Amino acid sequence: MEIREERRGAVLIVAPAGRVDSNTSGTFEASVLERAKEPRLLVDLSGVEYISSAGLRVFLMLARKVKETGGRLVLCGMGASVRQVFDLAGFTALFLVEPSVEQGLARLSA
Amino acid sequence: VTPGIDGSDARAIRRLGSLLEVSKALAELVELDPLLKVILDKATEVMDAERSTIFMHDERLSVLRSHLSGQIARDAVHLHLGVGIAGQVAKTLELLNVPDAYADPRFNPRFDRETGFRTRNILCAPLLSRDGRLLGVIQLLNKRGSAAFSPDDETLLLGFASIAAVAIDRARLVAAVVESKRIEESLRLAHDIQMGMLTRRFPRHGVAIHAALQPARGVGGDFYDLVEQEGRTWFAVGDVSGKGMGAALFMAITLTLFRASAEGGASPAEVMARMNRALARDNERAMFVTVFVGLVNLTTGRLTFANGGHNPPYVLRATGALEVLKNADSPALGVLEDAAYADSELDLLRGDGLFLYTDGITEAQAPDEAFYGVERLEALLRGLASASPAECVDRVVGDVNRFASGAPPADDLTVLALRRLQD
Repeated sequence: MEIREERRGAVLIVAPAGRVDSNTSGTFEASVLERAKEPRLLVDLSGVEYISSAGLRVFLMLARKVKETGGRLVLCGMGASVRQVFDLAGFTALFLVEPSVEQGLARLSA
Repeated sequence: VTPGIDGSDARAIRRLGSLLEVSKALAELVELDPLLKVILDKATEVMDAERSTIFMHDERLSVLRSHLSGQIARDAVHLHLGVGIAGQVAKTLELLNVPDAYADPRFNPRFDRETGFRTRNILCAPLLSRDGRLLGVIQLLNKRGSAAFSPDDETLLLGFASIAAVAIDRARLVAAVVESKRIEESLRLAHDIQMGMLTRRFPRHGVAIHAALQPARGVGGDFYDLVEQEGRTWFAVGDVSGKGMGAALFMAITLTLFRASAEGGASPAEVMARMNRALARDNERAMFVTVFVGLVNLTTGRLTFANGGHNPPYVLRATGALEVLKNADSPALGVLEDAAYADSELDLLRGDGLFLYTDGITEAQAPDEAFYGVERLEALLRGLASASPAECVDRVVGDVNRFASGAPPADDLTVLALRRLQD
C-alpha cells in the first residue's frame, strides 16, 4: 500500500492506494493517525481497490482523533466496492463523504 | 627456575589456560543473566582488573544497557552510541585502551562521582556476533597494580571478547526460540478457549441449525452462537474488525453479551442495542463488530431479525429461489453508543432455509489472488435448496477451501445454516 500526501492551501490531502486490509491497516493507521491533528483533512480513496473491516477501523479511529482535536475530516473518491463496504457496515452516515477531491476541498473550505 | 620458560612466557601460558577455562565455563551456560555474571567474573579475574562492566546493545532503542560486576550493583545505566568510552567503542567497533581516564575528554566522571569509585585506566572492546552485529561492549576498569593495560592485555581481551560474544549470541538465540515457543503455546491455548466457547450442540426441533468457524491465524474475531428458549431459538453470526488476540478478546465479550442479552431479550433489535451500548462505552481502540441476530419461532416459522453492519444473509426457499435478506442499514456494534437498530420480519415456510456467513467466505483468495466472491457463493447455494444445514455448511466451507487450495486464509470464515423442518 502506498500513501501519497499533498497540501492544497489549508487542506492536507492523504491518498492511500492499493488494499487496506488486515495486512496493511497497521501501516495505514500509523501514518494517517499522525495526520489527525491537521485542522482540515481530506482522504482521497480513489486509489483504494479494496478495504476490509480492519481498514474501516482505521477510519473510525481517525474520525475520533480529528474530532478530539477539533479538526474536520472529509472522505472523497470512493469507488463502488469501497462505498459498498462503508454502506454495509453502516459507516457512511458517520463520515462526510464527497464524490471528488474538488468537491471535498469545497466542503472543507465552506 | 624452570629452564626454557622465562617469566613472560609463563604468564602468557597461564593466561591462555584461563581463556580455555572461560571457554569451557561459558559453553555450559545458555541463560543470558547467569552467563553475563560469569563473563564479568572471569573478565575481572583473567584481565587482572578491579571492575568490569558489560553494556548490552538494545537494537530497538539504539542504546547500551549496563550489567556490572563487583560490589556495586546500582541501577542499570543507559548509554547512547558514540557517548563515553563504551559508547565510542560501540560506534567504531574498535578496541580502546585508555591509560589515563581523567586525561581523556571522552571519559564521563559522573559514575565515579556517584559511586565513589576512582577510575584510573580503561580497556574496552566490542562484543560482535559472527555476522558482525554489535551485541554489546565489555569494559574493564583499573589494571591491578599501578600500570595501565598493556598491548598483551589488548590481545587477551580481544580473544576473551570473541569467546564471550559467541556465548551471548547463542544465549540470545535460545531465548528467542523459548519466547516464540511460549507465544505459540499461549496462542494455542487462546484458540482452544475460543473454540471451546462456541456451541457444538445444534438443535433439530422445528428448525435444524448447523454452523462452523475456521479461524485464519490461530485466534480470530468471528463467532456464531445459538440460544434455545421455549418455542423459539436465537442465533447470531458476527465478525470483529481485525484479527489476533485483540479481536479474539472482543469476540469473547460480544459472545458473552449476546448470551446475556438474549436471555431476557424481547427482540433482536433490542438485544443488539443492548450489546452495542456495552461495546461502545470506553471503546478506546475503536474496535467494532458486525452482527446479525435472528430469532425464529419454532411453531410458526416467523423470523425476526436485526442487522448491525453485517453482510446480508440469504434465504434459500424450498422452491429453489435464492433471496438476499436486506433490512435497514444500521451501523456495526461498538461504534455509536446511541445507534438505533430496527427489527424486520420474514416468514419461513416449511423447507425454507437461511444462510449466514462472514466475509472470510467471499473474500477467500485463490493462489492467483482471485476472490471467491458472491457469484460463486450464490451459484453454490442455488444447488443446495433441499440440502440439510450440516450439508450446506460442509459444502460451502469445502468449496471455499478447495478454491483457496492451500493459500493461507487471510480472514476467519464462519457459516451458519438453518432450515425449517417439514414436520
